[in-house]
Amino acid sequence: MRKTQGARRSGEVAGASETEYLPLGSVAFEVMLSLAGGAQHGYAILRDIEERTGGEMSLHAGTLYRAIFRLVEQGLVEELEERPATEWDDARRRYYGMTALGRRIAAAEAKRLADRVATAKARKLLRQAGG
Amino acid sequence: MDAGHSRTIRVLVAVYGVLVRAYPARLRHRYGEEMVQVFATRVVDAARLRGMPGLMRFWAGALADVLRGAFLEHVRERWRPSVDVSAMESTERNGRAVFMRGLGSDVRHGVRSLMRAPAFTLAAVLTIGLGIGANVAIFSVINAVLLRPLPYADPDRLVILWQEMTQRNVKNFPLSPPDLRDYQEQSTQLEGLAGIFSFPQPLSGDGEPVVVQSAIVTPNFFSVMGVRPVLGRDFVPSDADVAPAAAPGGAAGPQVNAIVMLSNELWRTRFGGDPTVVGRIIDLGGDPGEVVGVLPPGFELLMPEVAGIPSAIDLWSAARIDFETANRNNAFLRVIGRLAPGATLVSAQAEVDRITADLRARFTIRETAGTIGVLVPMHTDLVASVRTVLLTLMGAVGFVLLIACSNVANLMLVRSAERERELAVRSAIGGSRWRLIRQTLAESALLSLAGGVLGVMLAWLGISALRFLRPEQLPRLTSIELDGAALAFTGLAAACSAVLFGLVPALRASRPAITQTLHQAGRSPGLSANRLFRNAVIVGEVALTLVLMIGAGLMIRTFSSLQRVDHGFDASGVLTFQVGIGGRFPTPEERRTYRSALTERLRSLPGVEAAASGLPVPLDGTQFHGRWGLEEALSNPAAFRQANYRVVSAGFFDVLRTRVLDGRVFTPAEMRDSADVVVVDEQLAAIAFPGRSAVGERILVRISTPEPVWVRIVGVVERQRQESLMAPSRETIYFTDRYAGFEGNLPWFVRTSGDPLALAPAVRQQVSQINSSLPVSNVRALEEYINQAMAPTRFALSLISTFATLALILAVIGLYGVLAYSVKQRTAEIGVRIAFGARTSTILGLIVGQGIRLSLLGVSLGLFGAWSLTRLMRSLLLDVSATDPLTYAGITALFLGVAVAASLIPALRAARVQPVSALRE
Repeated sequence: MRKTQGARRSGEVAGASETEYLPLGSVAFEVMLSLAGGAQHGYAILRDIEERTGGEMSLHAGTLYRAIFRLVEQGLVEELEERPATEWDDARRRYYGMTALGRRIAAAEAKRLADRVATAKARKLLRQAGG
Repeated sequence: MDAGHSRTIRVLVAVYGVLVRAYPARLRHRYGEEMVQVFATRVVDAARLRGMPGLMRFWAGALADVLRGAFLEHVRERWRPSVDVSAMESTERNGRAVFMRGLGSDVRHGVRSLMRAPAFTLAAVLTIGLGIGANVAIFSVINAVLLRPLPYADPDRLVILWQEMTQRNVKNFPLSPPDLRDYQEQSTQLEGLAGIFSFPQPLSGDGEPVVVQSAIVTPNFFSVMGVRPVLGRDFVPSDADVAPAAAPGGAAGPQVNAIVMLSNELWRTRFGGDPTVVGRIIDLGGDPGEVVGVLPPGFELLMPEVAGIPSAIDLWSAARIDFETANRNNAFLRVIGRLAPGATLVSAQAEVDRITADLRARFTIRETAGTIGVLVPMHTDLVASVRTVLLTLMGAVGFVLLIACSNVANLMLVRSAERERELAVRSAIGGSRWRLIRQTLAESALLSLAGGVLGVMLAWLGISALRFLRPEQLPRLTSIELDGAALAFTGLAAACSAVLFGLVPALRASRPAITQTLHQAGRSPGLSANRLFRNAVIVGEVALTLVLMIGAGLMIRTFSSLQRVDHGFDASGVLTFQVGIGGRFPTPEERRTYRSALTERLRSLPGVEAAASGLPVPLDGTQFHGRWGLEEALSNPAAFRQANYRVVSAGFFDVLRTRVLDGRVFTPAEMRDSADVVVVDEQLAAIAFPGRSAVGERILVRISTPEPVWVRIVGVVERQRQESLMAPSRETIYFTDRYAGFEGNLPWFVRTSGDPLALAPAVRQQVSQINSSLPVSNVRALEEYINQAMAPTRFALSLISTFATLALILAVIGLYGVLAYSVKQRTAEIGVRIAFGARTSTILGLIVGQGIRLSLLGVSLGLFGAWSLTRLMRSLLLDVSATDPLTYAGITALFLGVAVAASLIPALRAARVQPVSALRE
């Protein structure tokens, strides 16, 4: 548990402290990836993660909501008032979207991972994209 | 999705809804409902896409997810303010070193603190030790019997092949040689299929004549089992040639009737471990046999009991069966196979199904009997009969450990309530909460460690006691030992115990109400949450104890039913034995002379009332089956039924005092000419000729002829318990031994007015006077067979009762402890009451009432628990339902009586409180 939590919840964090949030946990990052495409409810997030990872990552409800709980606490994700129209819509469902801070952090995490991948490529661990 | 799935899903969603409560309130309130919704949607997906197995896998995953998540969230919630959780989480940093340094001091502190309270420490260690000891002992049995692989090469690939006759309700049937050959020739999934048939074999020469357990096996038997002889060679196919070629090397050696291998034990005891035994010709009761090999020491054949093959076989011979001409209707071979590389049980079973279907198509009798072939892993099959008992016992000892842990948890709570000041002071001067928790946990760990050590010692004693009980039905009894697995289990049990009894007290210890406690000079009120927890623990203990006691009660009822079972014969005063006549009397005439001579000699012995012979001995584990039918069966072979066939001499029913219900029994004249008459039991008579006398009627049977023939029923006798005391036998047909072709070679039954075993020397003497090389074996009182048949029940009964008693003692101590502590805490209150004129009976009622309330709550939970759990032990019960109201009521009354007695002691102490001294405290 990080000690700056109270400050973080407000979302008013200077750009320099982005690294404090990193690395995002793998579950948290997947949730952020799903929300990057637009707000979604819990079940849709699970399906999206499952589809994107080809079933490799299949989360249980408990793990998902623990991650959402933490992300909301950290101010990276928020619960939405308005409801986007999707084929999955259901009145009882709550929708979650990224906050501005969340988008910044997710982007930073993605960059961090991309840097690692670049290193891996440079050192011939990974063939060039498309290869 | 079918209805079963949707019902399962509804239940799972409901259970999940309850489980979600395990999360901390903040998380649960915000997301609990959504979690259940998502779970419900996903569980439907899982069922639709992957069926029931997928559903169950998903459920297991979701369950683990909730438990893990809830635990982690609680850790975060609880310890966030004062505990540096990151130090616990990131042990890869320098946190680890700090953690380890702290651990040493925690342990030292724990030892000192426990040494200061020797009574508490002793009580806790003893309690935990008993609980762990019982668990380790039973685990060792389960490990040896259920878990450890069989002692053969690659034992997981060994399977047993049975035939079942689905139309005649016959399971575990042996194979006929031609059927075995068909499976052998057509199977690709099984790399070897070996047959075995066992029988007692007389052995003479080289010392006193004896009868040894012997078996004929197909020559591939030992290679299928993966066993090599330590001396000489394995069987080769030519050993089984029906008309063997001349001796090797062209020398005209003596014609031997059998090629044999010796068990290591027989080789050492009878042949003095002489290596030149290989190649020697030995005397197999008149037949010469050539020894070709000696098996490794300790080799035993672990076949399930229903196979009727003893585990210790001393003499193995290559089966000389002519597979070409053998009768397909004579099924006697038990068959063991080995899965070929790459084959699975499923693929092999599919192949067996195909081959059996082909047999059904080729042979009408296979079709009409509904014959199927069943492959069972050898290990599964071996333990099938003892699984329920062992798992029931494991459940019982698990309960005992839970109860023990509850008691210790309560002890620790009392102790921590008394140490509240110490903890509060330490907390006030800056002892961190995590530190306090760790110290309390260290104490628990030390206690459970000591309990574990004591437990191992107790388990060792327990295992010796089990060996002494010697339940014969328990396979591999001798391999029960305290091995690495048992020690690992001890460690696990101790660790679980430490968490069970240590965690709640530790968390409580970490939250002393500092200022409050320090203000209250000297008087500790005890936290009400503590009291609630202690009461809850007692209620749980009582519930668990009641379940165990009811289990024990049901076993006691079963045992007493078992003792009252009408066996259909009177075993008291009957001696049984076998005479190995082997090939001594080759002609029927000689055998008849021998039998009348021995009968006369036995009858002339003092105290002997009657003597006769019959096969098999009731309850000795062997059964001979055969078909029977009525007129209809001639045109419709599916109308044949299966019966037990028994072969008896005249006088058999007299000796056993089996009542003749109708008609008559065999006459001596019928023993001489092979008259086609039979005696049947009341069960067969009732099935075949309901409502009328069976005497004079004819039935179709097949015993010594290739096809069924008509025989006439001359009498009906009462039904005997032959396979098991637990259930009535299949219908039975009795044949004369002459007609059956078994003439002369049957076990003997002698009824005497005195102790049957005292007759044994005289019997041996009479036999040796007929022929001094005739071995007498299996000399036992018939009552021993009954005792042996009761052994599994006695085994389960004695253990379950022991555990139930242990549980009762622990629960009563627990109840007493809680009440005594409560009296101690309420001394002032009670003093005031007495000062204001409360009568003794009121004070007694106050405390006993508290005990009764707790017990009643526990009892009602326990009744429910017993009602849902005892059905798992249904197969162990006889003549009593798993929910027998009488047992439930009786045990409940018994328990409440004991609970009242336990409450009375603290109640009396309360009644004797002196108001003045109580108020001065």
